[in-house]
Amino acid sequence: MKRLQFDYFMNIDYSEPVSSGHFTLKCFPAEDSRQRVLSCETHITPQTAFSEGRDSFGNAMIYGAVKHPHSTFSVRVTGEVELLQTQYETLLTENEIFLYRHGGVLLRPDAGMQADYSSVSGLLPDNVPERAGFLMHRLYEDFHYEKGCTDANTDARTAFARRKGVCQDYSHIFIVLCRLAGIPARYVTGLLVGEGESHAWVEILHNDKWIGLDVTNNIPVTDSHIKFGHGRDAADCRINTGIVYGSAGQTQKVLAVTRLSEQ
Amino acid sequence: MPSYTSLVPSSEAINELLARYGVRFGIYKNNTFKEQLFPFDAIPRVIECDEFSYLERGLKQRVRALNLFLRDIYSRKQIVKDGVIPEDFIFASGGYLAQCEGVLPSKGIYSHISGIDLVKGKDGKWYILEDNLRVPSGASYPMIARELCRRSAPKVFHDIPVADNRNYAELLRRTMDHVNVGGINVILTPGRYNSAYFEHSFLAEKTGAYLVNGSELSVEGDFLYYNTADGKKERVGTVYRRISDEYLDPMNFNPESLIGIPHIFDVVRKGNVALMNAIGNGVADDKGIYYFVPKMIKYYLGEEPILSNAPTYLPFYEQDMKYTLENFDNLVLKDVAEAGGYGVVFGNKMTKEQKADFITLLKAEPRRFIAQEVIDFQDLDIMDEGRQVARKADLRAFVLTADEPMVWKSGLTRFSRNPDSFIVNSSQGGGFKDTWVLSR
Repeated sequence: MKRLQFDYFMNIDYSEPVSSGHFTLKCFPAEDSRQRVLSCETHITPQTAFSEGRDSFGNAMIYGAVKHPHSTFSVRVTGEVELLQTQYETLLTENEIFLYRHGGVLLRPDAGMQADYSSVSGLLPDNVPERAGFLMHRLYEDFHYEKGCTDANTDARTAFARRKGVCQDYSHIFIVLCRLAGIPARYVTGLLVGEGESHAWVEILHNDKWIGLDVTNNIPVTDSHIKFGHGRDAADCRINTGIVYGSAGQTQKVLAVTRLSEQ
Repeated sequence: MPSYTSLVPSSEAINELLARYGVRFGIYKNNTFKEQLFPFDAIPRVIECDEFSYLERGLKQRVRALNLFLRDIYSRKQIVKDGVIPEDFIFASGGYLAQCEGVLPSKGIYSHISGIDLVKGKDGKWYILEDNLRVPSGASYPMIARELCRRSAPKVFHDIPVADNRNYAELLRRTMDHVNVGGINVILTPGRYNSAYFEHSFLAEKTGAYLVNGSELSVEGDFLYYNTADGKKERVGTVYRRISDEYLDPMNFNPESLIGIPHIFDVVRKGNVALMNAIGNGVADDKGIYYFVPKMIKYYLGEEPILSNAPTYLPFYEQDMKYTLENFDNLVLKDVAEAGGYGVVFGNKMTKEQKADFITLLKAEPRRFIAQEVIDFQDLDIMDEGRQVARKADLRAFVLTADEPMVWKSGLTRFSRNPDSFIVNSSQGGGFKDTWVLSR
């Protein structure tokens, strides 16, 4: 058992004030069989009323609007979680499995990905965790971590063709490969100790349990990972979704700083 | 003695009035918006009283099953677990929206307004061609045409016992009220340039619902409000929306949408507004799932289907693929993702090369297509430059679901003006007729 404190801060500066904006945030630690939330506080600037809810994947979210001109929008979420088990496992809930074998706008494989999978499919171990581990190691070797060459809307096949990207791309490609190998898999958002931003990893299904694999780091997920939420792909569980109304020529900058400290 | 052709002499006058009322059909072609008149043919389709009761029973049964299916898919998924429908046809379908998982619409109704397209074969049997559960349009056309016909030839309706079709507004209002969770009823239109704008304004006028566009609605906290011009707010309880799922809410669906209402789906999720039709219905009306509707009827209702599908094959199944390839020239092939008469090809109309290309595609993506026997359906007479000629026609029946499904005793009969065409969609330039259901 281990306690982790977190401080997630996301700030958007607009080059000119925008007249209004809407936001949906999913940057709150999940409560599940592996992780317990001890405290969690949210501050949004400019100060505004917001609603709480859960999306269809069970992720906690808040949504609302800033209905006056503003030139910056930020959210800070702080708190503490307790990680109950070292090995990363959460239980499969009823009816959810079907969602993670199909669909996901960012997960459509192309011929290139299929061919790549076929080239190794004969070498794959039968055992599910070993099979996934094999695919993870191979992806880690073949793929190059590089910021700025992909964005939030890059799909698996595009990133795969470039052979480089960030945690989102690693995770998407891995999910597609797992599905091709007959393993249901899903996309996870959260935080990782030592990482300065939000992070993404993958959960694969084995014996009715979700097992976490941090593909970007080529490791099983540990008790240093705080989970926010999950979905089929990044589009299902974006940490921040927003639209703003304003005159043309505005630019938007996203700055995400995360600090985790062990107690 | 009035007969079914009694209105023909008034045809021109009625079409002029329809044009003046703005009964048009707008279509996008090559990226430009063109509005064209929706030509009205004055010879009605006539359906005998008994025949319509039979249709009515079949349509109610079908819509009941489709609603149960939608509810099942977005919650327990029992029909998949029981192996009646392969999961690929649901969860990989573009019409399935994971955002709707676990969201139960008001009163559990998904398809409030269902437009079921049928044809009558030369064998005298009716066949279902497709189900339209994503806010089907077209009811206003026979409504207004009837109004004008009645005005120009009242005696015809005195002598022939035609069931009154003015009650559509009443059925629609009842449907809106039934699911209303507190507040006003509104009809949400994308605006003037939508192909069915005439219908939106007409139905708003007839039902007393407010006709609104996206910018007049806003989400405040957990509720949806209509903002009046003088700065007042009224809570909205039902939205009869004429905007497709993906454009309805940029925060939950297509972020590029400018006509939607940010967060409206979050309010739906909390049960604080009813949407007609519900979001996510596409999973029940794509051409792939059509094949399974008779199975749904048996599965959910324990009844034999009253109305038949056109004989359909799924190349997804090996046996059906074999049949499709062996009988290619007798079949019509449809891309499950397309609508409005697009993506439909007839086996016997392809060149050798086209056929070879198509078969390659079919083998590569079998899930994408269905194959159907070409139904030789009955022609209806229309007036074409003063001559009475026979043309292909279908019938869109409207089924409204409040506490029970209700079938409107009328419908939109569409016909092809081209003598060689089987495609009657208004987006392909066809015309329409009134549908007379005889009351005795």
